[in-house]
Amino acid sequence: MDTSDLIQSLAANAGPVTRLRSPLMRATGWLLLAAALMALLTVGHGLRPQFAERMRDASFAINMLSALLTGVLATIATFFVSLPDRSRWWLLLPAPPLVIWLSTIGYQCFDGWVPIPPGAVTVEAASSCLATLVLTSLPLSLVMLVMLRYAAALRPTSVILMGSLAVSAITSSALSMFHPLDATAMVLGWNLGTAVLFLGAAALFSRRLSN
Amino acid sequence: MSNDKQRRLRLVSSGEERACADANSADRTIGAEATRDIDWTILMARAQDGDTASYLRLLHEITPYLRSLVRLWHKDHWDAEDTVQDILLTLHSIRHTYDPSRPFGPWLVGIANRRAVDRLRRRGRQALREAPLRDEHEGIASPSQDSDSMLDKHHLEEAIGSLPPIQQRAVDLLKLKEMSLKDAAAETGLSIASLKMATHRALKNLRAMLSDRGDS
Repeated sequence: MDTSDLIQSLAANAGPVTRLRSPLMRATGWLLLAAALMALLTVGHGLRPQFAERMRDASFAINMLSALLTGVLATIATFFVSLPDRSRWWLLLPAPPLVIWLSTIGYQCFDGWVPIPPGAVTVEAASSCLATLVLTSLPLSLVMLVMLRYAAALRPTSVILMGSLAVSAITSSALSMFHPLDATAMVLGWNLGTAVLFLGAAALFSRRLSN
Repeated sequence: MSNDKQRRLRLVSSGEERACADANSADRTIGAEATRDIDWTILMARAQDGDTASYLRLLHEITPYLRSLVRLWHKDHWDAEDTVQDILLTLHSIRHTYDPSRPFGPWLVGIANRRAVDRLRRRGRQALREAPLRDEHEGIASPSQDSDSMLDKHHLEEAIGSLPPIQQRAVDLLKLKEMSLKDAAAETGLSIASLKMATHRALKNLRAMLSDRGDS
């Protein structure tokens, strides 16, 4: 098709469109939805035993707050980087709290290696964790997917990975409020693992289709 | 809503006009670019509201600019034109993501670079699995490499060599060198009738000799 014909047909099919709100406003909307979901789940589950006591533990508090901050900043970065005229440097926004969050996971693994006896983490407890994790992260991921569907034509990989990080961090901080087990590794594995799986499959199939 | 839009448009215009005024004193080109960006910003804002005439004008105006941008990435004319069309289609599908309070240029260039890089990657993948067509890829081998043809040629030359000299000369001039009867007559000094007769006999003899060989 000739370019001038294409222009004519595009102009002929151009109806009015509803402009997107600012990325900051949309990120706030998504975070409010996440907060509402967390509140609902907390009401349903109840806070974990000795929550206030655990919050006095510095490593637990730093872990939870850094996860929450990572989630908030990653959400903002996702909505900004999804637009064509915004810099890719936005991807670095959640980096500082992410480093703190990951280092506290490492510290907890090292610290908890000896005290946890074999059999302390049961299949029942872990599967209950997984169920809560899916219940929290799936609706958040779906809403974000709908809100950012236009980014498929621009920067899909960075947007998907940053969005997955946002969902992981929010879910992890939610789980640590009402779950006795520390499920950070599972949360990260689930969300980022699923994202990497989908990206890998997409890369493979798109190459096959374009061949 | 419309007041807010106008205010935002005025904000962009006043900012760009100030930039334009500064630029005029320093460099006229920058001023022209800033003016063009304001025009495109206004046209895009109107297009988002459903003004098809503005949208048509915008697309016509940005196309040469897009071509010049894309030529930095793609040297091939058709690749460049396909990329321009990709950019126009992407712009159309995500035109709701443009914020009229921000300049139009960076938004357009962001889309253009993305599409140009995508096509470069696709071309790279194609180049990896494609090879240039060479002689050895031809389905039909050249006659000089065909052993059967070589054998036939050898037999024919042998058969022609065993003909009487006049018949040999007639075949050589009329059939192999494809001369006209008149030229061949001038060349040999023989009459046209003699040449015709010699050729006729030569072909008869050759047919007999080659069919004998074929039977044996």
